[in-house]
Amino acid sequence: MSRPLRIALPKGRMMDQALQLFEQLGHGIAPEDFASRRLVLPSTDGNFEFLPVKSADVPVYVESGVADAGVAGFDVLGEHGSDVLHPLDLRFGACVLAVAAREDAAYPILPGGGTPRVATKYTATSRRFFAARGLQVDLIRITGSVEIAPLVGLSHWIVDLVQTGRTLADNGLVVVDTVLESSARWIVNRASHKLRLREHERMIGLLEAAIS
Amino acid sequence: MYRSIAEVPPGSQDLLADDVRRRRRVQAAWFSLAEQFGYSEVVPPTFEYEEVFTRGAGPGLADRLIRFVDRDGRRVALRADFTSAIARMAATKLRDAHLPIRLCYAGKVYRQESEGGARRRETFQLGAELIGDASPVADVEILRLAIRVLHDLGIRDFQINVGDVRFVRPLLDELSPLAAERLREAIDRKDRATLAAHAREAGTSEAVQRVLAELPTLIGRSVVLLRAAAVAADAGADEAIRSLQDCDALLTEQEKAHVVYDLGEVRGLGYYTGAQWEVFVAGVGRAVGFGGRYDGLLGLYGADRPAVGFALETDALADALPA
Repeated sequence: MSRPLRIALPKGRMMDQALQLFEQLGHGIAPEDFASRRLVLPSTDGNFEFLPVKSADVPVYVESGVADAGVAGFDVLGEHGSDVLHPLDLRFGACVLAVAAREDAAYPILPGGGTPRVATKYTATSRRFFAARGLQVDLIRITGSVEIAPLVGLSHWIVDLVQTGRTLADNGLVVVDTVLESSARWIVNRASHKLRLREHERMIGLLEAAIS
Repeated sequence: MYRSIAEVPPGSQDLLADDVRRRRRVQAAWFSLAEQFGYSEVVPPTFEYEEVFTRGAGPGLADRLIRFVDRDGRRVALRADFTSAIARMAATKLRDAHLPIRLCYAGKVYRQESEGGARRRETFQLGAELIGDASPVADVEILRLAIRVLHDLGIRDFQINVGDVRFVRPLLDELSPLAAERLREAIDRKDRATLAAHAREAGTSEAVQRVLAELPTLIGRSVVLLRAAAVAADAGADEAIRSLQDCDALLTEQEKAHVVYDLGEVRGLGYYTGAQWEVFVAGVGRAVGFGGRYDGLLGLYGADRPAVGFALETDALADALPA
C-alpha cells in the first residue's frame, strides 16, 4: 500500500471550506488535530494527509510532487503559471481580481499623459491584462496592504483581490475594472495523476458530485 | 561591485564522488544494453545554429534555448535536445548509410529554467534513435529499450504512458489558432468543464464534442484502444489506433505491465508525428523520459526518413537507483 494521498491546502478560509468538503465525503480530520499546530494533518480514515501551506505555495508543493493534489485559487495559478492539472472548479472561494483606484482617480488614461503606476502582488497577471488592453503601465510589486499604495501616492491604481469590497470602501477606493474572476480549483500533480489514476479519478468524481 | 568567482551560476552544478558514480552506473548500463541492440554511440556538438532546435521542436523548446551570437553574427544555441541534433547528423553525414540506422547517446542538454523552481539548466540525458523504419516493430524496439534500461537499473515501479498525436490533432485542425490553443490547454490541464465550454463556443460538431469529452477517460490498458477506435474522428485517428494495437501485440506480457495507453495527452515536442510517450517512475513528481515517432524531422534537412526515438533523464534515474 502506497502512502496516503497528500493534499496541499491554502491556510485561511479556503482551507476551512476544503476541510468541510472532505468531512462531508467522510475524510475529515480529528477536531484536536484541527486545533493543533501540527504541520501535517492526517484524515481520521487514514486515506489522506493535509498539508496547510501559504496559498501562493500550494502550486509549488503540487508541481514538485511532494503533494499529490491541492486546492488553489485560480488567481494564484494564473500568476505563477505552475505546470499542474486543474481538473475541477470547486466553486467556493469566489472573488474577483480587480483594478481599483481612488474615487477621484482617472482610469484608464491619466489626464495630461504620463504612465500610470500600478501596485500589485499579481505582476504577471497584471502585465498580461494591461498589455491585452493596449495600456502601458509601470508595475510596482508589493506583498501586502496593497490598498494603501494609492492613498499615499505610491501608485495611481492597484490590482488586488476583492471579496466583499469592504476593505476598498473603507479606504475610499472603488473597483474600476475586472481582471479575472477566481474561485478555488482542485489541482493535481501530473506524475501522480498517471501513477495513481484510480485514486485521483475517484476523488475528482466525489468532489464533483459533492459540489453540484 | 564585488562578485565572487567561487560560486557557480544558478542552475549549474558541480558533481562529485557518489553523484558521478551513480550517473556513470546509469550510463554504463545504458551503453551495454544499447550495444546489445546494435546501436552506435554518437556525440553531437555542444552548440549548434539555433534553427536546429527551433524549427522542428516548436516554441516549447525555442523559448528555453541558451543562446549566444557567434563571430559571424549567426545565433548559436547550446544543445537543448539530442533528437534534433541527431536528426540533422543523420540526414547529412549519414545520408547514404544503409537503413535502418541505430544511434545512441548520453550527455548533457542545456535549457533555460527560472530560478526557484529547483530545475537545473544543465542536465544529463541518455537515449536512442532508430532511423529509416516506419513500422510498429521499430516503435516497439524503442519502447523495449526504455523498459529494459529501467529494468537493468533495478528500477521496478515505473510506467510508460503511450498516446498518438494523430488521435487528438484532427479535433483541433479545423479551428482558428486561438480556439485551438484554448482547447489544447484545457485538454492538457484535464479541465473537463472548460474543455466542454470551449468546444461548444468554438462551434465544433457534436461528434467532436463527444470525443473531447471522452478524451480524459481514454486511459488504461489495451482495452482502451477499442473504446478509442469507436470514437476516432478521422482516418488519421483510425490509423493511430491501429498502429498502437500493432505495438501492443508485439509487446511481451512483462512489458505490457509497464504500458498504459493514454490518448488524451497533448504534451511533447512539436516534431512528433505519431506514437508518443512519457515515462514515470514512482516517487518522482514529473516525467523522467519522453519518446515517440518524428517522421518529418529529417525531411527538414532534405533526407525524408521515418524515425522514432526516446530520451531519459539520467539525473532523475541516478536519484531513483535502488541503494
